[in-house]
Amino acid sequence: MQLLAPTGFLAQTGFPVPMHEATLAHYLLVATLLFVIGLIGFLTRRNLIIMFLCTELMFQAAGIAMVAFGRYHLDFTGQTFVIFVLTVAAAEAAMGLALVVLLFRRKESLDAEAWQDLRG
Amino acid sequence: MDQVINPFLAYGLCVLGGAGVCLALPRRSMTPQIVGALVAALAGGLALLVMGLRNAAHLPNIYFYVFSLIALGAALRVITHPRPVYSALYFILTVIASAGLFLILSAEFMAFALIIVYAGAILITYLFVIMLATQAPEEGETEVLAEYDVQAREPIAACVVGFLLLAALTTMLFRGVSELPQPPAAQPDALLADMPRKVERVLRTNGLLKDGDKLITGRSGDLTSVGSDAGVITVEDSQGVVRTIPRSEWPEDLRVKNIEALGFTLLRGHPGAIEIAGVILLMAMLGAVVLSRKQVQLDEEAKLAQARQLRLFRETAAEGVTGRSMT
Repeated sequence: MQLLAPTGFLAQTGFPVPMHEATLAHYLLVATLLFVIGLIGFLTRRNLIIMFLCTELMFQAAGIAMVAFGRYHLDFTGQTFVIFVLTVAAAEAAMGLALVVLLFRRKESLDAEAWQDLRG
Repeated sequence: MDQVINPFLAYGLCVLGGAGVCLALPRRSMTPQIVGALVAALAGGLALLVMGLRNAAHLPNIYFYVFSLIALGAALRVITHPRPVYSALYFILTVIASAGLFLILSAEFMAFALIIVYAGAILITYLFVIMLATQAPEEGETEVLAEYDVQAREPIAACVVGFLLLAALTTMLFRGVSELPQPPAAQPDALLADMPRKVERVLRTNGLLKDGDKLITGRSGDLTSVGSDAGVITVEDSQGVVRTIPRSEWPEDLRVKNIEALGFTLLRGHPGAIEIAGVILLMAMLGAVVLSRKQVQLDEEAKLAQARQLRLFRETAAEGVTGRSMT
């Protein structure tokens, strides 16, 4: 029952209690896995939009790692940083997707390999 | 690293996971994608299980496992689903699951901000662009998947690189985690000194502060008596008698909430960064408008046709006006 009891967010325990390193390691593992999945997606997928989506996955992973570290050190700077990451992600999505729309208008295809001639 | 997970086991699981992800990526082959997804899920599940068994005394909340498995599974589906719209929808699932992780980490504000900003705003933009940038199927034919969505590019090389990175990262992380400095003692009341109005309001609504009582404040209006070490609030009543309210009598509402602590960190600690974030957003908005505006090139014939239409419109309008004035 102890395991099932929610701690922190529903139990009204007040300020978060310190967290053990091993617990932190679990969160870091999940963040790393998410980052690697995003990286593999970015490398393998050929659809421009999905490639952008995979960068967002990597942002998510970084966010989880930062919030977990902030929780470990009982410091709110990690969460503050995630706010700025959100801001930059929104700006990046707006610009990147506008570029994708432009590229699609030129070649009628979302294939990243259609733009190989940009290599110069 | 030894105390978190056995290194050789970790590397074995990295290889297994890499093979699974590689099999799950979209490509034209015999093995169905689900086999690869299952292998990758097995590797991830085993890693979490082994870590849990080794650190049975410091297990995270059980919801951690639920949310992280949903997040990882949905993330795998994002990169393996051949249809972009479904990828985006699975990404929303990842976002919601990581918002759950944020809740367990007692970052409530960030959890909801993540759902609102990511799932509500950014992903909708993605969905719009996906729908704008796909060719509609011809009349009478069923929709076919584009070739670039079906066939992954260099899946084996990418998986090798990705899971090598994973092995290296986890090695360094788990080695460093056991050497982290001990976290500082929690100071749950440290911010209360900066929130005299909140303290007064809460105390009044809970009847701990009578009419005429006032909190003793420092020169700049902060509550000098409230602090992590003091643990008491000093009150002066109308007769000038000073009494203290010890922490054991503080009402539950008085505790510093996540949003208050975050607000102080954000606005007091990083005011310049907020300005820069605003400028970044403004530039992104301008850039998106400028980039995606369609330049309409009219040839001579189209211009003539438009002029004719305009003249016709003006004439009918004038006729309408004169006609009405005659009657």
